[in-house]
Amino acid sequence: MHLNPLIMKRLYIYCLMATGLFLLTSCMKDWLDREPRTILSDEQVWNDPKQIVALLANFYDRIPAESGLTDVNNEGADGRLFQWRNLANYDEAMWSGQSNEDGRNNITSYGYDSWYLWNYTYIRDINLALENIEKYGVKLSEASKRQYSAELRFLRALNYFNLVKRLGGVPLVTKQLIYDYSGNVESLQQPRAKESDVYDFIASEVDAIKDLIGNDGSTTRANKYTALALKSRAMLYAGSLAKYNGLMAAPITTAGGEVGIPASMANGYYQKALDASKEIINSGPYTLYKNNPDLGENFYEAVTKKANNREVIFVKDFLLPTRKHVFSYDNIARGIREDNLGSSSVVPSLNLVEAYEYKDGTNGALKTRTADNTDYIYYNNVADIFSNKDARLYGTIIYPGTSFKSLPVSIQAGVLVWNSGRNAYDMVEGSDLGTTYSDGKLLTGTSGPHRSIQEVSNTGFYLRKFIDANDKTSTRGVQSDVWWVWFRLGEIYLNAGEAAFELGLTGDALLYINALRERAGFGPNSLTTLTMERIRNERRVELAFEDHRLWDLKRWRTADKVWNGNSSNPDAMVYALYPYRVIRPGDAARDGKYVFVKMVAPRFRAPRFFRLGNYYTAINQSVLNNNPKIVKNPFH
Amino acid sequence: MIRLISSYVITLLLLVMVNGCKKDNYEKPSSILSGKVVYDKEAVGLRSNGVQLELWQHGFELFTKIPVYVAQDGTFSASLFNGTYKLVRLPGNGPWVNNIDSIDVTVNGNTVIEVPVQPYFVIKNASISKSGTTVTGTFSIGKIANGGTLESVTLFVGKTNIVDAVNNLGSAGINGSDITDINAPVTVSLTIPGSLSGQSFFFARVSIKTAGVAEHIYSQPVKIE
Repeated sequence: MHLNPLIMKRLYIYCLMATGLFLLTSCMKDWLDREPRTILSDEQVWNDPKQIVALLANFYDRIPAESGLTDVNNEGADGRLFQWRNLANYDEAMWSGQSNEDGRNNITSYGYDSWYLWNYTYIRDINLALENIEKYGVKLSEASKRQYSAELRFLRALNYFNLVKRLGGVPLVTKQLIYDYSGNVESLQQPRAKESDVYDFIASEVDAIKDLIGNDGSTTRANKYTALALKSRAMLYAGSLAKYNGLMAAPITTAGGEVGIPASMANGYYQKALDASKEIINSGPYTLYKNNPDLGENFYEAVTKKANNREVIFVKDFLLPTRKHVFSYDNIARGIREDNLGSSSVVPSLNLVEAYEYKDGTNGALKTRTADNTDYIYYNNVADIFSNKDARLYGTIIYPGTSFKSLPVSIQAGVLVWNSGRNAYDMVEGSDLGTTYSDGKLLTGTSGPHRSIQEVSNTGFYLRKFIDANDKTSTRGVQSDVWWVWFRLGEIYLNAGEAAFELGLTGDALLYINALRERAGFGPNSLTTLTMERIRNERRVELAFEDHRLWDLKRWRTADKVWNGNSSNPDAMVYALYPYRVIRPGDAARDGKYVFVKMVAPRFRAPRFFRLGNYYTAINQSVLNNNPKIVKNPFH
Repeated sequence: MIRLISSYVITLLLLVMVNGCKKDNYEKPSSILSGKVVYDKEAVGLRSNGVQLELWQHGFELFTKIPVYVAQDGTFSASLFNGTYKLVRLPGNGPWVNNIDSIDVTVNGNTVIEVPVQPYFVIKNASISKSGTTVTGTFSIGKIANGGTLESVTLFVGKTNIVDAVNNLGSAGINGSDITDINAPVTVSLTIPGSLSGQSFFFARVSIKTAGVAEHIYSQPVKIE
């Protein structure tokens, strides 16, 4: 048979097409049913404890803190906020690092958008997880399902606390919001809850989950006592907000209660704070850290040391060699840094140093001048001015005459040379660090302080708390794995003390406050009477640099008085203490001794200025535009 | 030769870049809106950059405020595009009664407006003088609107004519509760602080603070020689 080549070709094509069709249909079923290789399905995730824990790790990592140990700024809507530099924005410390961040010493006023957080992406992720674990987690045991759900609800409650302390009442979203494509989004627009409702929500969530959450003994995952610690702190905030907002000349409120808790609710909240704190103190597995007989070192270890530490309740842990941060590189004292750059960025203020009392209970102001203010007070050693101070000063701050990692930190600003012609001292300061004066002895220490050089303390002090004492941890190559403490027993004692005092139970309050003071070297029962001022000062010195100061001043409604933007107000300015060696031959009582000069830190510019509109952060205009049911905060 | 070519290339590039810039850039706003915050036709004395007015413009995709800060003599100005705006007096921001009604402002070329406010208190007949090492300010308090509580009166001194609760070198105040007769003249005195005692002149101002309002209302600064 002879066929036309054209027909032949067509036939061939038909054959091919038929085969192709056949192949295609046979394959199709399997092809489309294949499991994706790069995506985990909900069924896979929610039935595998390992993957649920991995997801939880992500949620724990995203807990926001205004300050912290790493360098994460608010990344868009997610609110991953963990920015150690913010430690330099208040009155505990100032910025002495690279001069490109000197703006932190020159905040003419805190912006109304300061401390903003609107991380509903995080809340949605948790709500989604809570719903999916119920829907897909068929192979999980009921017990582990309950535990994971409790843990997720703790994280959500903690996040609502982080929102309410910044913004006041926020929309309480507890389930996924799903758009129905109807063209009407009104069902998704939730109004703000009352400020008190958000605090009540936190309390009721903690009550509901505390016995389900498990994780006993863990400090990095939440357990019963972590939840109670959250309740202790949140209820104390709510109580003092109710009380002290009501005591303002003109309380800050909105008509719908989104801001402003009625004063009548104060005692109820204080009672809840006290009950939660008592439960932790009395039945929790925690004890105040007292492992080191050197009380100063002991306090440093109480916060920073990981081994045998039964004081910490909840931490954000780091682990070398991979989970690490550069906090030590950026903040170690200049003279003992191990890298060729960095150091000294956040340096404590004299304001904070003077807040630490003397062990006899007297005011902590350092004595630099004689009573009649005619002459300096001369000290034999540079550390003598700090003798008999609260041991927590040593544990928190490196001051002149102390050492770190067994290395002495050399802090001296310069020398005062007696000029008999002028009948006064000539002040000589080195143009560089570690310099020698013409008498062959030290001029300016290797750790300064210096008025203008960057990455040297500008105040005469350095951080000790959260700085890693291990070898090479202040290098960029090794880095540090010191943990960040969210909750520790010391705070719970203070919460209990404050709540008890506000409820009129001064005897109980004294027990808690005195226990902390005894650990700091004050001797047993060092206080017999108590004032609110004293409790506030205890909080300031015990919890310095642990992200408390700003929130405490806000809830006591004293921030606008303490940081009133007035440069003649010593609380609003950051002060420094410069030590000088005296050269006055022929006067044995003074020659070779040390004197101290208090001054406003030279690199510090604008007084801290907290306005009434800062008590509640302004809600972003884009949020208001998207949801007309959200009301603005006062003064914005 | 190579040098010649490269210089031509650079010139050409520069020319292109210069032209390119011109095309992409928008015209900048050229109209100036200026005015003052007034009560009873008088400008209100304030803290420098303390009070903020807001301008809002509807009809564009970007809907966000244009902040306008008020100077210490009550004046303000802003560079704007021609158009209609709404001017909002922020509640609780200035030392006056909240008024949430916005003011319609039509900007066309240079426009001058007055923003009327109703202060809780005003300062009348202020006089500040120096005798020896003491500065004394005397003034009467005029109560204009109900609803505000007198928190304090204060005398501020400073080196420059920008003097207020934030920019000052010394201050003295009397609590509102210590003023028994609000209609009688009030006198506040202050010992000249060390930082000013050597100066040939300085400036002083008195203020009244209303409880619950962050900003004080001030007299105009007076030069003391």
